[in-house]
Amino acid sequence: MIKLKDVSYTYPHTVQEALHRLSLVLEPGRCIMVTGPSGAGKTTLCLAACGILFHEYGGKKAGFVTINGRDVSAYTGLSEIAKNIGIVFDDAEAQMIFTTVEEEILSALEYRGLAPEEIERRLASIMEVTYLSAIKDRSPHNLSGGQKQRVALAATLALGNDILILDEPTSELDEHATRRIVEILSNLKRQGKTILLVEHKYAHFRDMVDTLVVMEHGAISAIGAPGEILDDERIKRIVIPDFTGIRTGAAPALPTSTPAIAVRNLSYSYDEVPALHNVSIGINAGEFVAIVGENGSGKTTLVKQFNRLLTPTAGDVEIRGKNTRDCTIAELARHVGLVFQNPDHMFFADTVKDEIAFGLENLGIKNKDVVIDAALGEVGLLHTKTLYPRWLSRGERQRLAIACVVAMQPAIIVLDEPTTGLDGDEARLVMEILKKLQQNGHTVIVITHNRDIAQYCADRMITMDQGRVSSDTRVPVE
Amino acid sequence: MSEILQYVHKDGFFHRLHPFSKILFIIVISVMCVFITSIPFLILMVVALLSLAYISHLHREVIQQLKLVLIMSVVFIIITVLTMPNGATLGYLIPQGVPVIGGSIAITDGAIGIGLVLALRFMVLIFAFQLFLISTQPRDLVHAMEKLHMPIDYILMFIIALRFIPTLQIEGQRIHEAQLARGYNPGTGMLGKIRGVAPIVVPLVSNALLRSNVLGLTIDMRGYRTGIRTHVRERKFCTGDYAMMGSLVVTVSVFFVVAIFASGLIF
Repeated sequence: MIKLKDVSYTYPHTVQEALHRLSLVLEPGRCIMVTGPSGAGKTTLCLAACGILFHEYGGKKAGFVTINGRDVSAYTGLSEIAKNIGIVFDDAEAQMIFTTVEEEILSALEYRGLAPEEIERRLASIMEVTYLSAIKDRSPHNLSGGQKQRVALAATLALGNDILILDEPTSELDEHATRRIVEILSNLKRQGKTILLVEHKYAHFRDMVDTLVVMEHGAISAIGAPGEILDDERIKRIVIPDFTGIRTGAAPALPTSTPAIAVRNLSYSYDEVPALHNVSIGINAGEFVAIVGENGSGKTTLVKQFNRLLTPTAGDVEIRGKNTRDCTIAELARHVGLVFQNPDHMFFADTVKDEIAFGLENLGIKNKDVVIDAALGEVGLLHTKTLYPRWLSRGERQRLAIACVVAMQPAIIVLDEPTTGLDGDEARLVMEILKKLQQNGHTVIVITHNRDIAQYCADRMITMDQGRVSSDTRVPVE
Repeated sequence: MSEILQYVHKDGFFHRLHPFSKILFIIVISVMCVFITSIPFLILMVVALLSLAYISHLHREVIQQLKLVLIMSVVFIIITVLTMPNGATLGYLIPQGVPVIGGSIAITDGAIGIGLVLALRFMVLIFAFQLFLISTQPRDLVHAMEKLHMPIDYILMFIIALRFIPTLQIEGQRIHEAQLARGYNPGTGMLGKIRGVAPIVVPLVSNALLRSNVLGLTIDMRGYRTGIRTHVRERKFCTGDYAMMGSLVVTVSVFFVVAIFASGLIF
């Protein structure tokens, strides 16, 4: 059981409270799901609940946290707390220390003071529960995102604790992998585990959640049984993304003789491992296209061909009538803007303004200040111009990444999973921005696991499966 | 993407050895490498290591390093030719026919000899460490090092440094692609290289620092630093270990006898 009473916390070198007089009780055998906008303090809550804030972090602290009836300050350190609580962080890769799946879990078991036979028995049982037996000898860099999350969870289960804290365990996972995690956690709950879960995918976890908590600005803005608090429309929009009404009608037909993108008989292999087979698609200027499919179905490999980050093994890709084989990546960057899934892969400048200016300087675009202001205005971030990009919340960073690309004025904008890690409101905001870009004449292509986005925002949905286009349909206008 | 210095799950001669035998093997090879200046003997060591890799089914992984090893060998030879001329002149790096600067930078047999020795030593060390690291599971390594009373923090630091090489490689590649997509073209030459560093290195380091925070907390929350450990699936000394120890003793003895006779220290 974990109890937080009036917990406030301010990170070192900051003035704003990350948690403000927060009280919460996690009762044995229950599951609390915490959701809310990025930057609301959800991860800080996890760190507070398992005593990490109190033992490892500086900053200003107030209030009380008790774990199994004992104040966190009475524990000698994390090693002692770890006998009561297991925590899984969102970055699964950083939680893999050893070089095979089995070794990771076995090593976690070896430090529990158990008898060797008990270790072997628990190892076998955990591998089975987390569906890892078949990949026990794989190394971390040969695992998919879902598999890595399962390994991190399995190594935490190895500790044998009854309380589990999970910080966005499914943020980068596709439907299939998410369902696997939900299944595992539901089973664990049935076994009596106590679960504190930070998540955005309420719809997936609906059946196992006893209490839903919505956090905003470091405080709890709604708490209760899901059925009760979701009656509030504002709260509901944060918890469950609502994309209805974004598509206002059929796409405006732009007068053009050549398609924006023409892909003909495209095949691509990574070191002899085939990733795309004979893909042919045409995308017209001004279209809003959603590319859906499971992880590994070839979606990202396909869009990387559009600006020649990858060159076709066979077949051709033409961008606005020009074969990509005849163009450099820098030339194609003028026509195709690509926003990757993790915005943190691009930020390096000291201010938001300089971050956007980088792309403009690369392309030699004049009137930088005017262009930067316009791009920031487009994504609603004008007030952040002088801030350090990495200080922004995840949702703001995602919008900044879009602004960086929009400022370069490409006719085609491609986004890989633009709503990862965002709450309902933020996800809708991103999709509205993209819709506006389409209305301004851009061709927008979105890779997504979320079929609602395809259904309510796109004009056309291309489904990929094992490197092939399995369906290509126009989304009917309601 | 090649997986530099990562454990490869196989069942071969080297995999079955006890980590202690492998650590001894590395020490003996490294010490011999420092003392030996004989090119034929060093070539013999390279051949022996490649044969060992072959019987351990690890030759493919070891051969993957060949490109790096050859490039470094050429670099070593060029450096010694430029900086350590000695012995008979075999020719000139800039042909004598070239006006004014012709005939400068002599290529001497002594410099080539030293370059070759350095290159061969490098080959021996790379191959030996490669064999050791790709055949030893980190937890066996942790176990062996714990028994040698090394502090757990240093052991974890060592295995984490190795474990995250491919992760950083992949991350670096993604960042590079993200910047290329923004029209990033650092240009050529030294200035271009310097200009091109920040957009890649800053995100790479920032992300790695964030990751190291999670990694540190994970290590604590899993109790790796408590020092209490139940050892399961411990490796036992096997026939291969005795064979390895025997071979090392014979090699070291032969080496000393040959070294003493050859150097004329006694006779």
